[in-house]
Amino acid sequence: MNNLTVSPAPHITSGQTTQKIMFKVVLALLPAGLAGIYIFGLSSLRVILISIVSCVMSEAIFLKLRKRDPKAVLDGSALLTGLLLAYNLPPEIPFWLLVVGGCVSIVIGKQLFGGLGHNIFNPALVGRVFLHISWPLYMTTWKNPRWAVDAVSTATPLANEGARGFTYMDLFLGNHGGCIGEVCIAALLIGAAFLIFTKIISWHIPVSFMGTAMFLAWIFGGDGFFNGDFIFHLLAGGLVLGAFFMATDYVTRPLTKMGKIIFGIGCGVLTAVIRLNGSYPEGVSYAILFMNAMVPLIDRYTKTRKYGFVK
Amino acid sequence: MEFNQLLMIAISVIFINNFILSKFLGLCPFLGVSKKTAPAFYMGLAVTFVMTASSIITWAVYSFLLKPFHIEYLRTLSFILVIASFVQLIEMFIQKFSPALYRVFGIYLALITTNCAVFGVAVLNSEMFLKVSEDLVKALVFCAVQGFCAGVGFTMVLLFMSGIRERLELCDIPRPMKDMPIAFIVAALMSMAFMGFSGFRF
Amino acid sequence: MKKLLREFSKGIFIENPTFRLALGLCPTLAVSTSVINGFGMGVAATFVLLGSNIIVSAIRNFIPTKIRIPCFIVIIATFVTIVELMMKAYFPALSKSLGIFVPLIVVNCIVLGRAEAFASKHGISRSIFDAIGMGVGFTLALVLISAIRESLGNGTLLGLVIVRGFDPAILFILAPGALLVIGLLIGIVNYLTEK
Repeated sequence: MNNLTVSPAPHITSGQTTQKIMFKVVLALLPAGLAGIYIFGLSSLRVILISIVSCVMSEAIFLKLRKRDPKAVLDGSALLTGLLLAYNLPPEIPFWLLVVGGCVSIVIGKQLFGGLGHNIFNPALVGRVFLHISWPLYMTTWKNPRWAVDAVSTATPLANEGARGFTYMDLFLGNHGGCIGEVCIAALLIGAAFLIFTKIISWHIPVSFMGTAMFLAWIFGGDGFFNGDFIFHLLAGGLVLGAFFMATDYVTRPLTKMGKIIFGIGCGVLTAVIRLNGSYPEGVSYAILFMNAMVPLIDRYTKTRKYGFVK
Repeated sequence: MEFNQLLMIAISVIFINNFILSKFLGLCPFLGVSKKTAPAFYMGLAVTFVMTASSIITWAVYSFLLKPFHIEYLRTLSFILVIASFVQLIEMFIQKFSPALYRVFGIYLALITTNCAVFGVAVLNSEMFLKVSEDLVKALVFCAVQGFCAGVGFTMVLLFMSGIRERLELCDIPRPMKDMPIAFIVAALMSMAFMGFSGFRF
Repeated sequence: MKKLLREFSKGIFIENPTFRLALGLCPTLAVSTSVINGFGMGVAATFVLLGSNIIVSAIRNFIPTKIRIPCFIVIIATFVTIVELMMKAYFPALSKSLGIFVPLIVVNCIVLGRAEAFASKHGISRSIFDAIGMGVGFTLALVLISAIRESLGNGTLLGLVIVRGFDPAILFILAPGALLVIGLLIGIVNYLTEK
């Protein structure tokens, strides 16, 4: 277990191993994936499978090249990265893009830093942002959900805010175009509840992240001040997926409670700023990646003091 | 003064066109002084100060010397001379009057005499504001704000980088990638994150 | 003659300014978006390097050591101004796409570094070969990096389409691509020379 970052005191052993945690997170992600497959059809399943295979293969090949123990592939982290990457992609993305994405996530995002526990940035987000900058066209071609009446391919709700026409129920259940794993908020919340209930993640990051983003959307999101549609901003796009499953990644989040709240607020501010003022409609991935770079500094300044220790 | 315009300059030069991550200026100190947080912070302060001051000085040189006499082609020569001698002067001044301050900042000042970020901000100012603007005071404010904010953006990225590199010391990085190559990879990923701000508008 | 050749070849391989010494990286990263730009930058820098090395070496015995750096800077800045004006006159398109990085040659560490470390200590003929070697090494590195970035990021090489139907990854001609390519290239060079 030498590959987990040391957290500040008190140190409590909880019987959790990397493998157990990883598979619990994968389990928590399942409902959202099933919902995505149900909503967008079997093409989503294809994306998920190829993404996972390409991540696991990249990891295996890199470990082989570095002459490391190939059993490390089985710790489930590559599987989780592949799953998260797929959840952040549109359902009809070409085959080769997935291969490139998985390879970039694992090799550049993780293995070049020394593998699990050493990466500074969230590997799945590295892959996702790489693809988004490189091939914006493929990354913003969305597929209609199964209930759609017209055959015209829609954009995500965030992209065509002017012509909304989505009810909150549509957004909550996932009846709109979007990435595979982010559309069905109901399914994501089931998984999130499981993670919080089993104490895999704490509430600090998700609550401060979503709260800040909603608060800013409420103030600045409408015409004039204090009348933005903050529920819309919570339900549309990848905010829920990002806040519960990406920002809380064990390796790339701060260690202390205070640090987590600062991290969450930072993510929220950046997400709102990019959504409302940037040229990209969605900013969750960029916001988390940006805050990942700040984590070492946050950790340094929120270290817990030694109890009863006078300098 | 148009407040919005100033804010836009600030955001642009800190986030969208960050000197290190998007314009690649000042890479030498970025790689050289980013191994520990404290030196990175002092370096950032020194660069911010020198950038702001040289923005103002080169504004004066351009508006009162180069432009009236129509010798704009001497821009490169005059800017580098003025900046280099200014930094030297500051160094001597600090050494004389505050040895304590000199011990902290002296080495960084020596390093930034020929820093491309400092020279770069002066050239950028002259391309963006001095060549086009007729209003002297407006140009001065724009130059000073751009110089200061470029320094702030520089310091911010330098601080992030130093935090990350302190952590990287403990990481099991493949041997050929250690030190500089991995620093570039980190910079590349940071630059990707900063691209989220592209096309920023009010 | 053998000595001169060694001065020439060391700049290309053993002491390649970009990959081995990590000097002059700012322009390397900024202008390597296309091979034409990279090559233009390399030639411009080589010209400045050659000019400043010759003059510095010629007057090295007359400059007082205390003010040598300002003297070097003036000499370099003069050659940079010459390049700036010539490029504007004869290659206006290149001059526009290189932008502020032409005047920035003046703070390119390679040029000042060679003036200080080599030309101020050696004779004219050796300084000339040193300058050409370093210049060629720098240009080769630039062409290599820009070839990688142009082919991956734009799908072209020297403006010609290489493989039809290839979807270029725009990232590589943007800022992150430059940092990524140089990081990986230095890593590869380290790996090859370690053995």
